[in-house]
Amino acid sequence: MKKRMLTTLLTAAMTASVLTGCGGLAKESASTAANDEAAAKPQIVDVEENETPAERSDEAVKLKLFSNLPDRKNGQGLVEQMIIDEYMAENPDVTIEVEALDEEAYKTKFKAYAMDGMPDVVSIWGQPAFLDEVLDAGVLAELNEDDYLDYSFIAGSLEGFKKDDKLYGLPRNTDIMLFYYNQKMFDDNGWKVPATMDDLLTLCTEIQAAGITPVAMDGGDGWPMACFLTDIMVKVTGINYADIISNAVATGDFTAPEIKQATQILVNFADAGMFQVGYDSQDYGTTMNLFTNGQAAMYCMGSWDASMALNEDIAPEIRDNIRVFTMPTVEGGKGGANDIAAWNGGGYAVSVNSAVKDEAIKFLNYMYQPDKLSKYGWENGVGMSAQDQTAYLTGNETELQKQIMEILKNATSVSGTPINDCGPSAFKTAIESEIQGVSNGSTSVDDFLAAIGAACK
Amino acid sequence: MKKLYSNKPVIFSLVLPGLLVFLFAVMAPIGLSVYYGFTDYSGMGEVRLIGFDNYVDLFHDNAFGRSLKNSLLLAVGFICIQHPLAILVAAVLDKLQGKAEGIFRCIYFIPNVISVAVIAYLWKFIYNPDFGLLNNIAKAFGHPGKINWLSQQNAIWAVLIVLIWHGFGWGMLIYYTGIKNIDPVLYEAASIDGANWWTTFFGITLPLMKPVIQINVTMAVISALKQMETVYLLTNGGPNNSTQFAANYLYQQAFKAFKYGYGNAIGVVFIIICVLVTVALNSIFKEKRESAA
Repeated sequence: MKKRMLTTLLTAAMTASVLTGCGGLAKESASTAANDEAAAKPQIVDVEENETPAERSDEAVKLKLFSNLPDRKNGQGLVEQMIIDEYMAENPDVTIEVEALDEEAYKTKFKAYAMDGMPDVVSIWGQPAFLDEVLDAGVLAELNEDDYLDYSFIAGSLEGFKKDDKLYGLPRNTDIMLFYYNQKMFDDNGWKVPATMDDLLTLCTEIQAAGITPVAMDGGDGWPMACFLTDIMVKVTGINYADIISNAVATGDFTAPEIKQATQILVNFADAGMFQVGYDSQDYGTTMNLFTNGQAAMYCMGSWDASMALNEDIAPEIRDNIRVFTMPTVEGGKGGANDIAAWNGGGYAVSVNSAVKDEAIKFLNYMYQPDKLSKYGWENGVGMSAQDQTAYLTGNETELQKQIMEILKNATSVSGTPINDCGPSAFKTAIESEIQGVSNGSTSVDDFLAAIGAACK
Repeated sequence: MKKLYSNKPVIFSLVLPGLLVFLFAVMAPIGLSVYYGFTDYSGMGEVRLIGFDNYVDLFHDNAFGRSLKNSLLLAVGFICIQHPLAILVAAVLDKLQGKAEGIFRCIYFIPNVISVAVIAYLWKFIYNPDFGLLNNIAKAFGHPGKINWLSQQNAIWAVLIVLIWHGFGWGMLIYYTGIKNIDPVLYEAASIDGANWWTTFFGITLPLMKPVIQINVTMAVISALKQMETVYLLTNGGPNNSTQFAANYLYQQAFKAFKYGYGNAIGVVFIIICVLVTVALNSIFKEKRESAA
């Protein structure tokens, strides 16, 4: 009897503990959710469709910005934070919470958010490799293009952010592919900026002979080399670049002679020792350091790195002597010296399911007021904006800034999206990996073109 | 008390929490993976069933084949290099006695205490052709050029060295514990019989360490298959997938290429391979135990 009682008691205790555990969990989840809601609700107040900001002036609004700029004290991240702080100062009822991750982690979490509810304002990339899947999933709010007529966006810069003629985001920068070079090093050695690709090859041989790495290339990440290939293609194809690439992506056939020629030029450059030893496994920071430490004479990267000229961590004798030139022309190529590889990549959008969508769009529009992103970006030397910046020239610009502005001003055509971002994300992953193989000679040009074609199908 | 444990409600209530955890934390995700493996889900938007297409693609995917080959190579490296060395070092440590034993035991275990991220970056710098330690040593010995340790041809070997070095401490510690559990009387008897160190090692230590070796080898093979963090941080599978491993490839496909369905198919094949390898190793060791008995 005693044992039976003990058995019953133990079973009951065990069952109770399990159920209590589950119940507690359920209760806790419910209460956590309720707490979250309670914590969020008093601050997050849905803005009614026709309600003006003035009508809800005494109600607190909380916005969440999901950003790909984790460094909030330098460059673009600083500019973004400055605007956020100003907006909150001007709108005391609005609190903006920022979650910032670096690009790869950002894209992974973006996807998780897309499945489970997006933050109100998000960073996006106006390129098919990123945006196609996002727009297909219908997670971004449509913007009214007419609202931006006075925002001085550069002609064509909004195109990458549209689908079926509807606008879903706004571009932040105009990115140009450049060769950064150390002018003092060039002058000291009597080297000249090359006008043709043959000149560039000759120059690289001379630089190598001097015991210096000719061009620092971030080949470990894949995408900078794909941008470099885009740059070569522009010189080979001229204004036909976009048509040739979009046709190749659509058909999965990359055997067009222009694509083959451009790829062969890239292989020739790598064979000639243009890049540092081990370029195909080195990352962004290591590559940039080669140039900023004076171990490489040139550095191939986008205009967003123009802030090197203002970076006090770089020795003044290098920092003050950084200059740029664009990809030289190729003999028989259709692209001229002023046909450049440039595009409008990163930008911002608003979540379609945001509880405070109107406020989020209001904040987005505030960021893009010409005297915000454009002006602050220019003042902080973070490269070219997607909006007209001429009104904000101070006369104190660095030589580098002036040069880049001149390049964009003189451009007779711009390429648009670089090749790796022209197709689906599977294509992007494939080309950024395969380009390492073709450049280091372990894959033939034909196999490379077949492999990236297969990734489009 | 004995009767209590044979009472079915008691047994059920004791087993239930573990069973629930197993069902919801292990079986449910595997079930979901199997389901998504039959879809072309990108991680967002619509989910479409596409049958066995992902598995057919996987069968023709060179990068996946390369990742399995690399896992096999790593498993061989663990079994043929890391573990023999670990047993030898453990046996030598056991004989050292005194302070030296403790000091060397700590030194050999240090790589395991350091974070994987630190290890990966440390070796990235060691391998760097411009300022890396290895190239500076090569230069000091008169090598004229820069050696690209992480080139397409060399990278897999460079990665294997890091992984073998990093996991060495664990293997060594387990063998060391195993050796410490061997009855010292056996060594004394062998010593009286005039056996030298090698005879003792091959005649007493190794045979008595068999169960430990079996567990360590199984764990080493599984860890070779599951390899991800160090590779992700050191080379991210490059150049051109030459250092690709299945877990890293799964991550790239699911979260970078937006091929969530395909990533899940890799996961399912990966689970099947892990289960098959574990079963095969267990049956090999079981057969050996039976034939020894």
